[in-house]
Amino acid sequence: MTAPAGPAPGSAAEERPGAAEPPAPVIELQGVGVGYDGRTVLSGLDLRLAERRIGVIGQNGSGKSTLARLLNGLVVPDEGRVLVDGRDTRTEGRRVRSEVGFVFQNPDNQIVFPIVAEDMAFGLKNLGLPKKEIPGRVAGALESFGIGHLAERHSHLLSGGEKQLVALASVMVMRPRTVVFDEPTTLLDLRNRNRIRDAVDAMAPAAVVVTHDLELVSGYDRVLVVHDGGIAFDGAPGEAVAWYREHCS
Amino acid sequence: MNTSLYVPGNTPLHRLPAGAKFGVLFAAGIGLFLLAHPGVLGAAAAVAAVLVLSARAPLAALRARLLPVGVMLAVLFAATALLQDVPAAVVMLLRLAALILLALAVTLTTRPADLLEFFERLTAPLARVGVADPERISLGVSLVLRFVPEVFRRFQEIREAQAARGLKANPVALLVPLIVRTLKAADDVADAIDARCYPPPRRPSGGARTEENPT
Ligand SMILES: Nc1ncnc2c1ncn2[C@@H]1O[C@H](COP(=O)(O)OP(=O)(O)OP(=O)(O)O)[C@@H](O)[C@H]1O
Ligand SMILES: [Mg+2]
Repeated sequence: MTAPAGPAPGSAAEERPGAAEPPAPVIELQGVGVGYDGRTVLSGLDLRLAERRIGVIGQNGSGKSTLARLLNGLVVPDEGRVLVDGRDTRTEGRRVRSEVGFVFQNPDNQIVFPIVAEDMAFGLKNLGLPKKEIPGRVAGALESFGIGHLAERHSHLLSGGEKQLVALASVMVMRPRTVVFDEPTTLLDLRNRNRIRDAVDAMAPAAVVVTHDLELVSGYDRVLVVHDGGIAFDGAPGEAVAWYREHCS
Repeated sequence: MNTSLYVPGNTPLHRLPAGAKFGVLFAAGIGLFLLAHPGVLGAAAAVAAVLVLSARAPLAALRARLLPVGVMLAVLFAATALLQDVPAAVVMLLRLAALILLALAVTLTTRPADLLEFFERLTAPLARVGVADPERISLGVSLVLRFVPEVFRRFQEIREAQAARGLKANPVALLVPLIVRTLKAADDVADAIDARCYPPPRRPSGGARTEENPT
């Protein structure tokens, strides 16, 4: 089953970031091992990720966030290497991050600037986009998430759901080819969780979603279960969730 | 609760341009450190308090902002009194109180966007001679602006959590978790900044060429 990857129903957005639907980059982990302070968290990982919607589930502390951070070079492996379309995250981290966006669990820590539009512009400035193109891109991205009215608001005074949408928009405005999400809905109520879910389902780039919300990944192309320092199960969502329920509860 | 530093309003302080307010704050800061007479410092603190009140911020908002500062001042006062003597501690207390209240009066009445713009203009000449990077400075100022209210908010959360467990207000018990949590958040924000490809390429000349800087 494939997640709906076309334009979101009802989000009549012309300036949809990445509407051209670029092919998902191929992310390869080769013999990856990583730990903190000498304690191994993940080891011997060999993975090839190219599907459009990939879920990652697993217990607390199993290493899901570490895996997610490996994908865009926020964490570099102690052993082995991670390649995004052949680019090593260790030596080309910045370039990799321009293609692999990252949405964190807590939007408070992701939003940097006090005004929404300024925060959206931050990533574009970092990409070296000419100043005069920035306002148009920002407005388009906000519109595509139905939050154009928030542009001049104080980012830290928004509601949790609005903040997470702004965080998502601020990543999407950079037109990444894939976006990694680390528990994007954990802090949200049901309505906002559904808003984020729909936004993720509808967006053009590929997505790797770490979550404890097993229902979120039910329509995905592939689901990984992180357990005991490695990928304990890798397959279709139904089977992965069943495996997880049986072995980890 | 709104713990952002700025409280919208239309008082004389709100209407004053950011540059003027910061100019006065800067001059007052220097003045306060040159003066050591407790009476003069006390008067300065009183004037500063009046200015803060003139911003007409809701009292609850003022309380939230001043309480953590009060705790830190109390700790500093006690430490100075012990290590030096009480008169020195009084001078230090009045001086810092006056400065903090003045800074509060400025931040309460200046929109964050105006503040950023002011700093960018201020540092533009430095940028032209290549000493400072205005983008970096505005990022730094934004980070301060975003962290200060958060520290207030965390302070209150921790205090409430401790009160709920029957702990009496104890500065050390408050400050340690406050510092730990703030550092953790700072770490996360640093990651988020990295994840969005900071820093920009050297000369923003148009192309999306990005230089490599391995981490
Ligand atoms: N920066 C760090 N320094 C030290 N240890 C860390 C760090 N980040 C993670 N760890 C440890 O690595 C292990 C895996 O952490 P990780 O955050 O990847 O787990 P997770 O699966 O995302 O957990 P959760 O579901 O709670 O988010 C944990 O034992 C954690 O304590
Ligand atoms: Mg995690």
